[in-house]
Amino acid sequence: MSTIAQTLTIDHLSKRFGKVHAVRDLSFTVEPGRVTGFLGPNGSGKTTTLRCLLGLVRPSDGTASIGGQPYRDLDHPGRVVGAALEASGFHPGRTARGHLRVIADALDLPKARVDEVLGLVGLEDAAGRKAGGFSLGMRQRLSLAAALVGDPGILILDEPANGLDPEGIAWLRGLLRGLAREGRTVLVSSHVLSEVQQTVDDVVIISKGALVRAGSLADLAGNGAVRVRVRSPRREALIRALEVPGEDPPPTVLEPTDDGELLVTGLTASDIGRRAFLAGVELHELTQQTNDLESLFLELTATGTPGGTA
Amino acid sequence: MMPLLRSELRKVTTTKVLFFLTLAVVLFTALNVCLLVYLTPSAMGAENNDQLLMNPEYIDNIVGAAGSSALFVLILGIVAMTGEYRHMTITATLLVTPKRSRILIAKGLVFLVIGAIIGLIGFATAIVLATITLSGKEHAPIDSGVALQILGGVVLGFAIYAFLGVAVGALIRNQVAAVVGALVWVLVLEALITVFVDWIGKWLPGGALDAVLQATNVSGRGGSEVLSVGAGAVVLVGYAVLLGAIASTTTMRRDIT
Repeated sequence: MSTIAQTLTIDHLSKRFGKVHAVRDLSFTVEPGRVTGFLGPNGSGKTTTLRCLLGLVRPSDGTASIGGQPYRDLDHPGRVVGAALEASGFHPGRTARGHLRVIADALDLPKARVDEVLGLVGLEDAAGRKAGGFSLGMRQRLSLAAALVGDPGILILDEPANGLDPEGIAWLRGLLRGLAREGRTVLVSSHVLSEVQQTVDDVVIISKGALVRAGSLADLAGNGAVRVRVRSPRREALIRALEVPGEDPPPTVLEPTDDGELLVTGLTASDIGRRAFLAGVELHELTQQTNDLESLFLELTATGTPGGTA
Repeated sequence: MMPLLRSELRKVTTTKVLFFLTLAVVLFTALNVCLLVYLTPSAMGAENNDQLLMNPEYIDNIVGAAGSSALFVLILGIVAMTGEYRHMTITATLLVTPKRSRILIAKGLVFLVIGAIIGLIGFATAIVLATITLSGKEHAPIDSGVALQILGGVVLGFAIYAFLGVAVGALIRNQVAAVVGALVWVLVLEALITVFVDWIGKWLPGGALDAVLQATNVSGRGGSEVLSVGAGAVVLVGYAVLLGAIASTTTMRRDIT
């Protein structure tokens, strides 16, 4: 598993379906050894981007490549990349084992490998059952098994947590973290940030087919709203205490309607406490607001300011 | 290519459509043999069946009864190919084998073999049932030389027809449209065209199949002349390759969404 061969590169990718501009001039890279969350609301172009990457959809413009090569030029694509694109691509009359054996045969892998991945995703008891009778959660597990059967260095999963119960989501999180720890590239799409928040290292956020943010989750959290709520009977004095002249960048002070309350962005709670103490300003409340990534995500994707990178 | 062929074969053996269409071939062939042995086709202009059974050509027709089931293997090929799109298994297929024409070739080859095997089963059904139902009746002998020729024709014809079905399915990805379209073509349009332009009939797929199957008359174009077995096979393979080539430059290249 070499690092360069495992990097995914989306380069000025655009895709139009008739009049619908599904992906617009999208560029980002996905690195190995990390779990990357590919986020955006429904219909924002995530699936189209992934399908371009996998050679299923022809880009209108730009390229999507795997280790610098288009998917169809890879020597053994099924062993390099494992993808689970939808919880539906099964023949309803084919058993779970049958479905995986069809794929394993094409990859020249033995039946033993099929049983191995069935165990890995927790479907060993359902191996002989027809996929047509599977629940959404089971279909997700079968999709995942199909992606893993070739033991690929790159995993591309479209909404893998959809339909999984909380226990299943926790299990998936552990599995993906483990795969990334082994040095694999893991790209996971989702329309719910909170679903993958505890799983991903990096995020790529798109909206209406265009990039909104790309960077590490920590950066996103840092760049976003670290807000502290402060309440003081002497608000004017507090504002003066916080506004240190010549500071770059100056802290943004927001004034909410509630009297005596301030929302401070750009200063930590301890900074504010120290400054208030030095200025002799009495504080009645000093709360670091939990960093609500989900609302930040909604904010980012709703306004959809394209082009910016974090 | 071997892993791909194995994968394509596995696809067919892990679903029920192969079993049911093979069963359909066996039952339809059996029905055909029984009808020919026990009833008197009015078109033959004979007074009764006993008279007909003394006619060696009529006996050849009974032996070749499997030919009338050829449509089932055409449908089998269509269903196999269009099923990939219907159930979206095409995604998994293309992820492993992104070069799309390879899929078409592999599936075509696998169905060539499957069609041949079904042809063999169909012929066996006809010959066994004919032997059983004719025993105890006075009839012209079953000519083993002719029977072997018919066997070859049925095996070859069914093989190419299944292959043709795969090509049709690749070109028309909607399963219902492809099956209905193929049936309408073979059963209605081709017969209709042949009624008005007789010489063209032998060059059409159904006519070419008649040539390969010999002795049998699938599309019911009584007077129409047919090609030689070899020419018929070449024409039929030509149709399959042509449709497959058109499909791989058009419908097979489409986005899979």
